[in-house]
Amino acid sequence: MIRRDTIVGKLTQMPWFLLLIIVVIAVFGILILLSAASSAHSPITGQPDIHPELAINHASRFAFLLLVAIGVALVPLRLWAGIAYPLYFVGVAMLVAVDFSGVIVNGAERWLQLGPIRIQPSEIMKLAVPLAMARYYHQMFETNRSGFWIHIPALAFVAIPVALVLRQPDLGTALMILGTGCAVMFFAGLSMRLIISVIALIAVAAPLAFFFALHDYQRQRVETLFDPDADPLGAGYQLQQGLIAIGSGGPAGKGYMQGAQKELNYIPEQRTDFIFTIVAEEFGFAGSVAVLLLWAIALLQGMNIASKSKSAFGQLAASGFVSTLVLYVVINLGMVIGLLPVVGIPLPLISYGGTVMMTVMIGFGLLMAVHLNRDNGMSLRGIF
Amino acid sequence: MSRDWNRSFPSRRNIFLIGGGVLWVGLTARLAQLQLFESEEYETKATENRIRLDPAPPHRGTVYDRGGKILAGSKRNFFVTLRPEAMEPGDTVPALLDRIGEVIELSDSRKRQILQDVKSQARFVDTLVADDLTWEEFARINVMAPELSGVSADVGELRSYPYLGAFFHTIGYVQKASDKDILRMLEAELTSLHVSVDSDAGKARAATLRRLYHSPQMRVGKQGVEYSAETALRGTPGKTRVLVNAAGRVMDRLPSEDIAGAPGTDIVLSLNAELQNYAIQRFGKENAGSAVVIDVETGHVLAMMSTPAPDPNEFVSGISQKLYDSLLNDEKNPLYHKAYEGVYPPGSTFKTVVAAAALESGAMKPEDIVHCSGKAWYYNRFYHCWRPQGHGAVNMRSAIQHSCDCYFYEAARRTGIEAIAAMAKRFGLGHRYELGLTGGKVGVIPNDAWKRAAVKEKWYDGDTISAGIGQGYVTSTPLQLAVQCARIAGGPGVPNPKLLVAGMDVPDSEITPMGDISEQTLEVIRGGMFAVCSEPGGTAYPYIQMGQLDPKGELPAPYTNAKMAGKSGSAQVRGTIERDARGKQISREEDLPWKLRDHAWFIAYAPADNPRYAVSILVEHGSHGSGAAAPFAYDILRECLKNDIGSKPVYSPKKGVASAEPQPTPRKPGEPA
Repeated sequence: MIRRDTIVGKLTQMPWFLLLIIVVIAVFGILILLSAASSAHSPITGQPDIHPELAINHASRFAFLLLVAIGVALVPLRLWAGIAYPLYFVGVAMLVAVDFSGVIVNGAERWLQLGPIRIQPSEIMKLAVPLAMARYYHQMFETNRSGFWIHIPALAFVAIPVALVLRQPDLGTALMILGTGCAVMFFAGLSMRLIISVIALIAVAAPLAFFFALHDYQRQRVETLFDPDADPLGAGYQLQQGLIAIGSGGPAGKGYMQGAQKELNYIPEQRTDFIFTIVAEEFGFAGSVAVLLLWAIALLQGMNIASKSKSAFGQLAASGFVSTLVLYVVINLGMVIGLLPVVGIPLPLISYGGTVMMTVMIGFGLLMAVHLNRDNGMSLRGIF
Repeated sequence: MSRDWNRSFPSRRNIFLIGGGVLWVGLTARLAQLQLFESEEYETKATENRIRLDPAPPHRGTVYDRGGKILAGSKRNFFVTLRPEAMEPGDTVPALLDRIGEVIELSDSRKRQILQDVKSQARFVDTLVADDLTWEEFARINVMAPELSGVSADVGELRSYPYLGAFFHTIGYVQKASDKDILRMLEAELTSLHVSVDSDAGKARAATLRRLYHSPQMRVGKQGVEYSAETALRGTPGKTRVLVNAAGRVMDRLPSEDIAGAPGTDIVLSLNAELQNYAIQRFGKENAGSAVVIDVETGHVLAMMSTPAPDPNEFVSGISQKLYDSLLNDEKNPLYHKAYEGVYPPGSTFKTVVAAAALESGAMKPEDIVHCSGKAWYYNRFYHCWRPQGHGAVNMRSAIQHSCDCYFYEAARRTGIEAIAAMAKRFGLGHRYELGLTGGKVGVIPNDAWKRAAVKEKWYDGDTISAGIGQGYVTSTPLQLAVQCARIAGGPGVPNPKLLVAGMDVPDSEITPMGDISEQTLEVIRGGMFAVCSEPGGTAYPYIQMGQLDPKGELPAPYTNAKMAGKSGSAQVRGTIERDARGKQISREEDLPWKLRDHAWFIAYAPADNPRYAVSILVEHGSHGSGAAAPFAYDILRECLKNDIGSKPVYSPKKGVASAEPQPTPRKPGEPA
C-alpha cells in the first residue's frame, strides 16, 4: 500500500477521467487550429495547403502546461492556501502598475512589461481572487464566524480588482472576475434572499448602465447583438460572418479543413475568440454539441471534486474555478452564436493563445490538488 | 467549521448545476436553430459572401467623321503589369523595375510613378507598368519572363487617334482616371439616379465604378467629345463573377457569359476629316489660328480646327511633364481650342452686323452717303479711318467693299448700341454653342447694361463709335463668326450649328434665332461682301483670284464658275488706348514683333449667288484680314465645292454588333404577326 501523501501515491490518485477529458478537448483544439491555417483544396492551387505552425505551438504549449498542472497538483494544498493572500496582493499591485505604465494593446492597457516578460495581471487575478476568497472564508468558518457581515470583506476582495480591470478598460475580464467572485460568495452561503434582490436590482439597473456607464464601443456591441445586419461592414461584421459560418455548417458540417468562410478569411479573430466558428462550420451541429458535451463533463467532474473536498478552502477554490470555466465557455459561445455582446473572451483549450491556456491549466492543477487533498480538513492556523 | 456552511454547500451546488444545465440547454437550442433550422438561409448568405461581381471594361465607342473615317478608335495594346505579391521573395519593386528597364524604355519619373501606384494599392492588385508597347518590346518581355516574377505581359485595347493632332481640341483625349474624375462621374451618376452617396446602392455604385476605372485597361475622357460623351462612349460594363476572400483578393474566376456588358455607343461627327486636314495643312506650321466651315443648308460643322495642335496619342499613356510644359509655354497656344474658346475682337467683320442693324432700325438707307476724309470728329476727338487719305463719298455697299471705317462710325452713331447688340445676337454672336464639347466661350456683345455690370461704368457715346468697327469691348469666337456668316448667306432659315450627328444628342435651347429680317437688308450686305471679293477696290480682291473660285471651269455642277463673297477684319492686339479707335499707325504692322501684330479675320461663303458653305478664318497675329486670312478662306471654300462635302450621305454606324441586347427584327406592314 502506497501512502497517499507521497508523490508517487498522489500520482496514482490523480483524477484520470478529468485529465482524459482535458486532453481530448485540447487535442480537438489542436486539430481545429491545424484546420484554421490550412485548407484541403487551396483556392489558388487546388492542392492541399497545410500550415501546421499554429497547431504545433498549441500542442507544445499544452504538453508543457499539462506537466505544470500536474506539478501544481502535487504541491500540498496547504501551501496554495498559504500563498493565496500574497498572490492576491501582488496581483493588485501589478494592476495598479499597469495603470501607470502598461503596454497598450488594441486601445486598452492590459500588459505589464517586466524586463523581458510581459505579464497580464488581470489573468493572474482570475485565479488569485477565488483563492484569496476561499482562504478568507475558510478562516472565517474555521473560527466559527458566520452571519451576513462576513461577506462584506469578501465583496471588497472582488470589487478592488474588478474596478482596476475596468479602468484598463477590459470589460470581459472584469465580468469574469466579478462572476467568479460572486460565485464564491454564493457557494459560501450568501443569503439567497439577498442574491435574488441583487439580481432584481441588476435587472432594473442594467438598462441605465447601458445608456450612462458603457463606452461607445461597448454600447455598439450590445446594439449589434440585437441587430447584426444594421452595420454589416462595421461592428456587426464579425458577428454576421461568424453566424454565416456556423449556420452554413448545417447538421454535419462541411468536412474537416473544408470550411469556406474560414478558407477565405472572412472572420476576424477566427483563431482566437471566434475559433468556435470553425468547429461549427466544419463539423456542423454534431461537432458543436460535442464541444458543449466535453466541457459539460469536465465541469461536472470539477464540481464533483469540489463536493468531495472536506475543507472549505478546497470546496470554494474548486467551485470558484469551475465557475470561471463556466463563464469562459458560456460567454465565448454566447457571443459567437449571437446571444451575448462581443467581448474578448476566448474558448479555453481550443482558442489559440498562451495566456488563457496557462491560466486554465494552472486552474486545473489546483483543482487536481483539491482532489488529492480532499480528505484533509486543513487547519490553516499557524500559516502566516 | 461553521455548521451553516456545511449544510448549505450541497444545495448551493445543486442550484449551480441546475443553472448550468439551463445555460447549456440554451446554447444547444440556439445552435440547433442556426445549424438545423436556418442552415439553408446561411448557406445562401455564405455563397453571396464569396462571389463578387467585378466590372469588365467594355469596348469604348468609336468616334467617326461624317464619311465613316475613324477619328478616335481602339487599337491592339501590348501592356505590362506588376503584382508585388507574385514577386520572388527577396526581390524589390525598384530592382524589378530596373530589370524591366533593361528591356523596354522606362523613364525615372515613370518608375517613381509606378512605385507610388504600387504603394497605394494592395499587394495582390495589378499595377500598370507600361503600355502601348511595340511587338518587339512585348516579345522581349515575354522572353525575359522567367527572370521577371510578378510581371505579366498582356494584350488589350487602347485608344488611338489616327489623325494625330487634327482633332485634338474637338475630340480631346483619354487618360487613366484620377480619383477626382471618378468622384465627379460618381456624383453625376448618383444625381441623375437620385441616389444618395451614403445609401447602400450609392456605396455599391461607388465601389463598382472605382474598380472599373482602376483596371489597367480603362481610360476616361479628359477633354472634348471624349469627356462630354464619356457615359455613351464607355458603354455598359460587363461583369465577371469572381471568387474573393474577405480582403477582396480574387481567388478564382467563374463562368459569367450571362452578364456580359454592352460596348460603348459609336459617335458620328459632322466633321469631314479630309477638309479638316486640308485646312490644317493650308495654314502650315508657321501660322497659328482657326478655321470653321458650316454647311449653310444643314448647319453641320464640316471643319472646326485650331492650329497648331499636339498629338492626343501622347496623352493616352500619360504625357511627360517636359512635353506638357513645352506645350503650355508655346506662344501659339497649342492646347487651346481657338475656334471654340478663343475670343478676339471681330474687327471689320462686325460691320456686317452694324449694317444690318442700321438698315433694320431705319437709321440708314442703303443709298445714304457718308463722306470719308480719313478721319471723323465725334465727342471731342478724332476717329481715324484705316485709309489715311479717306474713301470720299461712300454708300453702304461700297463702305462694306472698302471696309470704310468712317461710314460705320456714322452708322453706329445713328443706330445706337442697343440695336447693334440685339442684331449681333440675332447674327449668332454672344452665345456659347452647345456642341457636346468641353470649354467654349460666350464672347462679349456689349451694351449699357453689360458695361455697368462688367466694367462698373456707364456706356459712353464714344464706345458706340468703336463698336461700329468691331473694336472696343466686342469679342467673338471663330465659331460664332462662322455662324454669323452662314446666317448672312442663308438668311433666317439656316439650321443651328450641329457637331454631333449620331450617338449623342446635345440640345441647345438658348440660341437666339435670327428672326424676321428683310431680304433686302441681307441682299445689301451680301452685295457688299461680293464686292469685297469680286470687284476692283474690294479689300480682298487682289488676293483671291478676284473672287473667282473656278477660273478654269473645273468644278462640278452646280458649282462651275462659282464666285465667293466675304468680309475681312483685323482684331487689334495692342494697348487699350488704341483699342478705343484706330489711332495713327505708329509703325508698319510688318515691323512689329509677331506677338503684337493684329489678328487677321476673314469670313466668306460660296457660291456667292446660291450659298452652300460658310467659312470663318482667324490667323493669329496675321496682320491683315485680306492678305493673311482671305487666301485660306478661298482655298478651303474651293475644296468644299470640289468635293461637295455637305451633299454626301452621312455615315451611320452599324448597330449592335456585340451589343448584349438583341435588336427586335422589324416586321413589314401586312406581314402576319
